[in-house]
Amino acid sequence: MRLVRDLGRRKLRSALTITGIMIGIMALVVFGSMANKIDALVKGGSTYYKDKVVVSAKGGYMGLGGVLSTKMADQISALDGVDVVVAGVEMLLSDDQSGVSMGTPPMIDGSVADADKGRETFQINYATGRALTEQDEGSNVAVLGSDLARQFNAQVGDTVTLRDVQFKVVGILEPTLTAPDNSAMVPLAAAQQLFMKTLPTLVADKLDVNVIATSLVVYPEPGVDPQKIADEINASISGVTPMTGKDFDQEIGAATSMLNAILIGIGLISLLVGGLSVINTMAMSVAERTREIGIKRAIGASRWRIRREIVIESAVIGLIGGLLGLGLGYVITTLGNDAGRSSATILFDLTFGTAFSSVAFATILGATAGFIPAWHASRLDPVTALRYE
Amino acid sequence: MAILEGRNLRKTYRLSRRNTVEALKGVEISIDQGEMVAIMGPSGSGKSTLMHILGLLHAPDPNHGPAPELRLAGEDMAALSDNARTRIRARRMGFVFQDFNLVPTLTALENVMLACEYAGIGGKQARQAGLEALALVGLEDRASHKPSELSGGEQQRVAVARALVNKPEIILADEPTGNLDSDRSAEVLALLREFNREHGQTIVLVTHDAEVGEACDRVIRMRDGRIRDQGQRAAAVAAPAMATPAAVAAMAGPAVATA
Repeated sequence: MRLVRDLGRRKLRSALTITGIMIGIMALVVFGSMANKIDALVKGGSTYYKDKVVVSAKGGYMGLGGVLSTKMADQISALDGVDVVVAGVEMLLSDDQSGVSMGTPPMIDGSVADADKGRETFQINYATGRALTEQDEGSNVAVLGSDLARQFNAQVGDTVTLRDVQFKVVGILEPTLTAPDNSAMVPLAAAQQLFMKTLPTLVADKLDVNVIATSLVVYPEPGVDPQKIADEINASISGVTPMTGKDFDQEIGAATSMLNAILIGIGLISLLVGGLSVINTMAMSVAERTREIGIKRAIGASRWRIRREIVIESAVIGLIGGLLGLGLGYVITTLGNDAGRSSATILFDLTFGTAFSSVAFATILGATAGFIPAWHASRLDPVTALRYE
Repeated sequence: MAILEGRNLRKTYRLSRRNTVEALKGVEISIDQGEMVAIMGPSGSGKSTLMHILGLLHAPDPNHGPAPELRLAGEDMAALSDNARTRIRARRMGFVFQDFNLVPTLTALENVMLACEYAGIGGKQARQAGLEALALVGLEDRASHKPSELSGGEQQRVAVARALVNKPEIILADEPTGNLDSDRSAEVLALLREFNREHGQTIVLVTHDAEVGEACDRVIRMRDGRIRDQGQRAAAVAAPAMATPAAVAAMAGPAVATA
């Protein structure tokens, strides 16, 4: 209570300092949430690509781009150390990908269910409905990722239009925070049909729709290094680019860790400014209260007690600023995600860890900033301080 | 019996490299238990400096010649650390200043309780002691007022309550009436006099005011950093010591009854 009164003594100054901290923490919370989201995406990708080789057409990337043939799957299956090969067809949900997009774009993802023979370890849970099965081949059914389902506002049993073709929704996934959230999973045959329609007629006429694939996911036999398989594929098959988990981590991981560093850096710089303003506020406050500190010292307050009083007060400034910043950051990330939902672009992931560490950081920053003025205050000579006007 | 004794007390303040002030030039002083003593002298005579040393706010200079001695109830205080001196100020001494020196954000009661807190007494006990001390100075109904809502005389009475709340062995007052008009001044002086007479509270006060000096048992006169006159001790200084339980009960009893 006494402390609140001390803060209230210079309302404007305390409010401005708290605002400074608040803005810093808000920046940290918002950018931190963005970094969380990117991390989750990358981690999801990294988990997915681990222990396997994804083969795309040369010049293509992660299954997007050129056309492969399911016949290549048989070729690759024959290589040493290969366990299972799953042919898939991936394409963008919409050709219009103008505008800045964070994370992965909405995708259609076709493959024969259970073709991996249980080798896929990437965990996917169903919020409602069921998974695709081999028996779905030939019918137009789809399982939607959580963000996509929200974008379509679709329930199990509804019909959605994917590239001008109607699909019946049979299942909806729980959020994974990574690529599948933005994907529609369909049977391979249906995806092949859709893909054909994206190709120019002249090209399409020369292709057999039943063998089209855009990616081949190669599962090595247990204990075989995916890099060895990738080398084998490079050596024996032309016109393809195999990609391993290591490649993914190198390409994507490096880019995102840089981005993360920039985001967190911005947040930290704004906090540094906030911290300096706490030092300033507390130094002013100590100067104003010189006489009061003299009284307290004279009637028996120890140096330690004077220091504690000031450090606690500035820690409270940090704490209040931190809590307000967290609140503001929460509002911004929530509004941002709500706005992005219609286009299935979820930018922020405000985790408990980010929230807690931001507030804790603000409090520690406040206390640390208070220490210099506190030290000065505790060294004042009581007699001199008492005479101070 | 002497409660506070000093010998060879010197203090030189260094204002700048070449400008030093020899404020005390070797002082010997002895205050008896239960005495109410005034230290008087012109400005710059060293009386405030002496008060700061007696109140352990400053340490006496370590002399080249005879070492300084300072004893509170027989215990050596001359070479204590800052922390140890702070502890004794908090637990065994009470202070009253010319400018009242209350903490402006705290109520009268909280100001008094602050002294309890520094002496290691907290919670209900401190509240009870604070209210009793305010009752003793006749301000129990002003307990929740801030200093800015009190008159100068009332503020000084709160300061007196703060000085005596821990039942100190000695109260040191630096010009306690210096900022008050003559009526308020007489009121505060009467209050101090009453504690001294009825509860045997030892009081040392620094003053310019001859009337205040006359009201005391003894006047010590200073000039140029030395004591010129130790004054005549009053014939009888007999009253129970403040710190005995009986005295505490006597002090608290009537006050609580009137509250």
